[in-house]
Amino acid sequence: MNATALKIQDFDDPGFNPFDTFDDSFGRHIDSPYPRLAELREQARVHPQEYKVLFGLPADLTTLDMPHFSVLSYELVYQVYANPQIYSNRIFERMLGPSFGRTVVTMDAPEHTRYRRIFQKAFMPNVIASWGDNLVQPVVDDLMAGFVGRGKADLVKEFTSLYPFHIIYRQLGLPPGDQRIFHKLAVALTVTSTAVDKAIEASEKLGAYYEALTDARFEHPGEDLVSLLTRVEVEGERLPKEILVSFLRQLINAAGDTTYRATSNLLVCLLQHPEQLEAVRRDRSLIPQAIDEALRLECVVITGFRMALVDTELDGVRIPAGSAVEAVNGSANRDPARFADPDRFDIFRKTTTSRHMGFGYGPHVCIGQHLARLEITRALNAMLDRLPNLRLDPDMPPPRIYGVNMRHPEHIHVRFDA
Amino acid sequence: MKKWMCQQCGWVYDEAKGDPIGGIPPGTRWADVPDSWVCPDCGTPKSDFEMLEI
Repeated sequence: MNATALKIQDFDDPGFNPFDTFDDSFGRHIDSPYPRLAELREQARVHPQEYKVLFGLPADLTTLDMPHFSVLSYELVYQVYANPQIYSNRIFERMLGPSFGRTVVTMDAPEHTRYRRIFQKAFMPNVIASWGDNLVQPVVDDLMAGFVGRGKADLVKEFTSLYPFHIIYRQLGLPPGDQRIFHKLAVALTVTSTAVDKAIEASEKLGAYYEALTDARFEHPGEDLVSLLTRVEVEGERLPKEILVSFLRQLINAAGDTTYRATSNLLVCLLQHPEQLEAVRRDRSLIPQAIDEALRLECVVITGFRMALVDTELDGVRIPAGSAVEAVNGSANRDPARFADPDRFDIFRKTTTSRHMGFGYGPHVCIGQHLARLEITRALNAMLDRLPNLRLDPDMPPPRIYGVNMRHPEHIHVRFDA
Repeated sequence: MKKWMCQQCGWVYDEAKGDPIGGIPPGTRWADVPDSWVCPDCGTPKSDFEMLEI
């Protein structure tokens, strides 16, 4: 084991703050993209424009040379995801490849199918079920102990923005003292469009660490996720080291930044609808549909990028080969053709015609969705059990979910009976 | 009633629940699900599901 390599290195400029860069790129000043999306969807189901640019935000620098199309209806978003032979994930080679490396997100079939199947084996519902008691619950309990006796809390700063990261750090067995550096480097991987030098620096530093870590865990396996991933196999094939390291690079923001936001958004939706919060408190079998309704109404990953491999057409709009095509999950989720009264939060909604696109659809559907559901369920159950009379704090500003993508509130101030 | 799991994404077909949105009513046995049916999350064909041990 190389002791030097197993110490994560911070940025050469340790003051660099990627968190603000990340949030700013999605329009911190914009309350909601949904009224504008409804107008645009009414005008046309496919718009020849980059999604962010539709809201006056700067274009993504990594795709400036490509024609862009934003797909807004449920039916056409589904069509994009269901035809990966036309709409390829190779666009991520340029968007994320420089920082993430050769990750499954950048691949198409048959390569993607092969590696995805091996990774998925480690995240199957029957595998992660044991993580609930062993890994998730202790984190939830530790964090809640910090405020449960106080009668008030900021659920974002004291819980949601912390718990999925703490779970991942425990899964990976990362040293507790260095966790802030890991998170900072992981977020920096995603700022290729605005600070590519920092993204590449983060990639190199995380890569060096994870290479040494996978070697160490392969030689001396433990019960952690890295040990599992070094040995998991499908039909005799294991993951190449390069692919595994790229996956680990991606894991903190793929699993942490999304679950943190999804949990926050669910809590806001429930707290703003106290009658539905009370219904869930009384009947916990409603939790799965509450999670799905929040993922529909306030999904975190609002667009999914693809690249047209051939000249094609969507809804009469000609799309040349090499175009960037954005399947706008958030717009599909509020398409009135599929969801009645789509802007209303209703956990009792009869979803008889369509599933939401909160986790995407198709070969690249979220690999960690089963873990995310488990984590959110544990978190919500704990709050409903231990925070009686949970409600928004009337003396503090109400929560504000903001931005045009990766939406979340910065604070959720609540009161409860201590 | 048995459960079957998609080997590509982990979606579980529960015979008790079926897949109503996909046109498969609750209570439909796995053997009666048409071969043309695909995983509602990832589009993988029925042939790539395996029975899930509970």
